[in-house]
Amino acid sequence: MKHRIIIAIIAAIFIIGVIGSVLVLTAPPSTVIRIVSHGEVVRTIDLNAAEDTCFDIVSGEHHNTVEIIDHHIRVADADCPDRTCVNMGWLSSAAMPIVCLPHEMVIEYAADSGDVDAVTR
Amino acid sequence: MKARRLTELALLTAISLIIFIVELQIPNPFPIPGIKLGLANIITVYAVYRYRPYEVAMIVIVRLILGAVFSGNITALLYSAAGSALCLIGMLLLKRIIDEKYLWTASVIGAVLHNTGQTAAALIVMRTPQLLLYYPFLIVSGCLAGAFTGLCAQIIVKRFKKPS
Repeated sequence: MKHRIIIAIIAAIFIIGVIGSVLVLTAPPSTVIRIVSHGEVVRTIDLNAAEDTCFDIVSGEHHNTVEIIDHHIRVADADCPDRTCVNMGWLSSAAMPIVCLPHEMVIEYAADSGDVDAVTR
Repeated sequence: MKARRLTELALLTAISLIIFIVELQIPNPFPIPGIKLGLANIITVYAVYRYRPYEVAMIVIVRLILGAVFSGNITALLYSAAGSALCLIGMLLLKRIIDEKYLWTASVIGAVLHNTGQTAAALIVMRTPQLLLYYPFLIVSGCLAGAFTGLCAQIIVKRFKKPS
């Protein structure tokens, strides 16, 4: 009888482990992004929780207008000469941050959230 | 301690150390730190059921230190020591409840406890809560590896009579 209980406990532990593994594997990628201007983090935003909004990141006399629509982020407008940041469109990948070189502004996924391998690699 | 007893313990330690080192040569298909078969624990489980608690502790402690020296992985000693300590305490207690016929269940719980101790030690040392994301995988692998080593130990226990 007691052995049945123990086997049941083991089965429960195992199932919890499997469920936990599946949860970790299927967890959505990080949605926290940060905006870095002149080497300093000026804003950290969780895209999942963010409302649709529009704001300016000011750099001296220049600005980049950042837009969040439907949990996506992009640079909608900028007065930099090349407008590469606008042309890059929506931020979609941790490997491709939106960069505005003239204004030294970067919009990127915050690396320290949910990045499992950062420590142990 | 009688010379015969001492010799038996030394022999078991040597065997588990050899198994440990041979296992190091087997490439690990899983990239997650902490996952391994732990074949050397066959000896530990066997000893838990055939020797006195302090004798088992002696075997495990010597195995751990010598294993770290021979594998050249001294930093891993901290994690494996924490895991082994928890595992040993758990199995020595479980031994009172669980018959030899169900020895493998004790081994499974011991393996999960080992992984728990490892994870706890890693959390304390690295202070990175993200390490907890590995824990479910460690539980699953611990259950499977523990069942395997437990079944092996069960076969050995069945074949060898109690040392007098």
